[in-house]
Amino acid sequence: MDFDKYDLDSSIYDEMFLTDGAPREHCSQLHDTLADFSAEELDGIQERVNRSFSNEGITFTVYGDEEASERIIPIDCIPRVMCGEDWRRLEAGLTQRIEALNRFLEDVYGEGRIIEDGVIPEDLVLSCPQYRTQMRGFSAPHGTWVGICGTDLVRTNDGFRVLEDNLRVPSGVSYMLANRKATKASLRRLYRRSRVREVEGYGQALLETLRELAPEGRSDPSIALLTPGVYNSAFYEHMFLAREIGAELVEGRDLLARDGFVYMITTAGPERVDVIYRRVDDDFIDPRVFRPDSLLGVPGLIEAYKRGNVALVNAPGTGVADDKSVYAYVPDMIRYYLSEEAILENVDTRLCRRPEDLEYTLDNLRDLVVKRVGESGGYGMLVGPHSTAKEREEYAEQVRANPADFISQPTLALSRAPCLIEGGFEPRHVDLRPFVLHGRKTRIVPGAFCRVALRRGSLVVNSSQGGGGKDLWVLAD
Amino acid sequence: MLSRSAQGLYWMGRYMERAERLCRLLQLQTAALVDKPVREIDFGWVRIYASIDRSPPFGQIQVHDEADYTRVDDFILAESYTLADDLTFERSNPDSVWSCFALGRENARQMRHCISAEMWIRLNLAYLRVQDLSIQDIWTVSPESFYAEMSAEMDTFSGVAASTMYRDEGWSFMQLGRLIERVQLSASLLLAHLDASKSSEEDSEADWISLLRVCHALEAYNRKHSVEARPRLALDLLVTDPQLPASIRRSLDMAAAELVAIGDGPDARSSDAARRLAGRLGSLVRYEWPDRDDLERLLRQIDRLCRDLHQRVSASYFDYEV
Repeated sequence: MDFDKYDLDSSIYDEMFLTDGAPREHCSQLHDTLADFSAEELDGIQERVNRSFSNEGITFTVYGDEEASERIIPIDCIPRVMCGEDWRRLEAGLTQRIEALNRFLEDVYGEGRIIEDGVIPEDLVLSCPQYRTQMRGFSAPHGTWVGICGTDLVRTNDGFRVLEDNLRVPSGVSYMLANRKATKASLRRLYRRSRVREVEGYGQALLETLRELAPEGRSDPSIALLTPGVYNSAFYEHMFLAREIGAELVEGRDLLARDGFVYMITTAGPERVDVIYRRVDDDFIDPRVFRPDSLLGVPGLIEAYKRGNVALVNAPGTGVADDKSVYAYVPDMIRYYLSEEAILENVDTRLCRRPEDLEYTLDNLRDLVVKRVGESGGYGMLVGPHSTAKEREEYAEQVRANPADFISQPTLALSRAPCLIEGGFEPRHVDLRPFVLHGRKTRIVPGAFCRVALRRGSLVVNSSQGGGGKDLWVLAD
Repeated sequence: MLSRSAQGLYWMGRYMERAERLCRLLQLQTAALVDKPVREIDFGWVRIYASIDRSPPFGQIQVHDEADYTRVDDFILAESYTLADDLTFERSNPDSVWSCFALGRENARQMRHCISAEMWIRLNLAYLRVQDLSIQDIWTVSPESFYAEMSAEMDTFSGVAASTMYRDEGWSFMQLGRLIERVQLSASLLLAHLDASKSSEEDSEADWISLLRVCHALEAYNRKHSVEARPRLALDLLVTDPQLPASIRRSLDMAAAELVAIGDGPDARSSDAARRLAGRLGSLVRYEWPDRDDLERLLRQIDRLCRDLHQRVSASYFDYEV
């Protein structure tokens, strides 16, 4: 099927095509293969991909008004292809970034040099709801606060930009692996010829990272993955990862903290746990330290962690570093701690807490994306160009009332990639979330969860809001 | 292993066993609709309902008048449709095929990391299949072939489990669940059969043959005895035969072996008591059954001890005090 009707717009970067309509060099093989397929063949491929997801039960949970339902995330069968050179740049940038972010966390919970030196305002850090005073004075083993992060990146005509560092409990890596499995099986010959770098090693890399973080002297550490439970939207992923690394999948009620150690309740009695890969938010992890009404957590867990008897990945309190205002200072952190310039640029961000930025934001609401600092998942934001005058007015009201809660960014022309939509090729906006592992060293598997805004014209890629995914192929040179 | 995981696998085993048994019963019962006399059909429904201790949706099953059967034919087909629906697709019936699959699959979904990927896929496919069907879909063509296919799905699941699952504690708990469920289901089926026979006017050989068939024991019976189906011989085969795959004795021996493989829980006295209980059940079947005539009492005792064993297993490995 040909690309004759494929819509190219020179103001938007297309992952497959140059502005003159010729395929990019690294995409030519994919392009030619797709062009050779008949419409029926393409439908068959998409059908196989869908079936593979439904047969394997790869689902996420959506909470409606009445009941929760298991849904299958829509996956587009056409991979997004990235050349080796682009990937190397991302890899270097992500490695630099996680190093700086970990130094920042160690610093703001410790001496606070970066504040003292006036690089980042004190009240911005301290007023952040994710700054956990309970962690003050704590030094994370090996300086690793963030062991697992999922960085959201977008590409524009000006290159890659970091949209968000997810440093708390990032999810989506199971989709990276599942998308690969399904896509590879449906495009067998193309995959073979394309020399795609493998992502299968993620489980092993995760396991090595977690083992590196085990308490001293625990040479064969016991590892558990802590999930909020089967009703959590990412439960499938928790189960999937537990199986990949051979860890026990535990809920708070399966753990017991006693005398500064953590145990899990097994058929042979309580057994010591050395490393906990936790997928429960800070607030709920230990009712003695954080929210006392939490039923998901383990009373005494933080004490055991602080005593060094159990590793928690990620550490509590990492959310201060991925706060939407603190984000604006990451390039400064990189300069401050590493004496380097950021390899990956941020999106130009204005903090409404600064009077001049507030004024600019309110004056340009129509062109900007405004986000609430504490929200995630694409909620609580205003996408200027897609808003009505009334929505802007109401939103401006909220911004004026609490300027410090808001930031604004230019509306980005996210790159687009061809997708199979109703039997034809159409461009859709995409982003990507590679996963960075950091134990005593940094490991990044060459791949990412590539999210797609499947609704025509939409910029929202979140799976809870009509987004889907596709596979990302990083090519070997 | 984690207590909650062990418990999930144990329950998965129980639900799968329950689904398998029910599919088998319904397969033979719907096949009977084609060519068996009305009395046998009535007897079959009474036996199924009594064995799962449930009342049919419209109250007692009326035993129809044999002499009048041409008139009641249509009626009994309509009745059977309602009953099969209640036992297969009724969401509110916790023992329906649908519920057993849904619950078994839910346990598996939560414990996917403890079973093999192949097992999960088989189970999920079977579940998705039942999910999409209703009684109308299966009734018009051939309900018995639907049940036969579901039984085959279960057999495939067991085969896939046997050839792919690592023989760790999870395996032992899953097997233990299956075996305890199997013994309890067998005991209640036999009790329901004896009970229904009592109220039936004639003691029909045909009912015993169908009982043997449900338990995959008819061929074994014929080979072993080559006489007509006699109640005592049939019961002995189903309860005490060491070679019949699903006999109570064999199931109990296998359950006892799984308990040994699992080993001690946190309180050794408690897990030891579980093993003794399994041993006692085994000796009841081995050494008492052959000399006794009050078989219903013995079956009730087996059923009760099985419930005790379930409690004991839960207390020893899943819900102990910490």
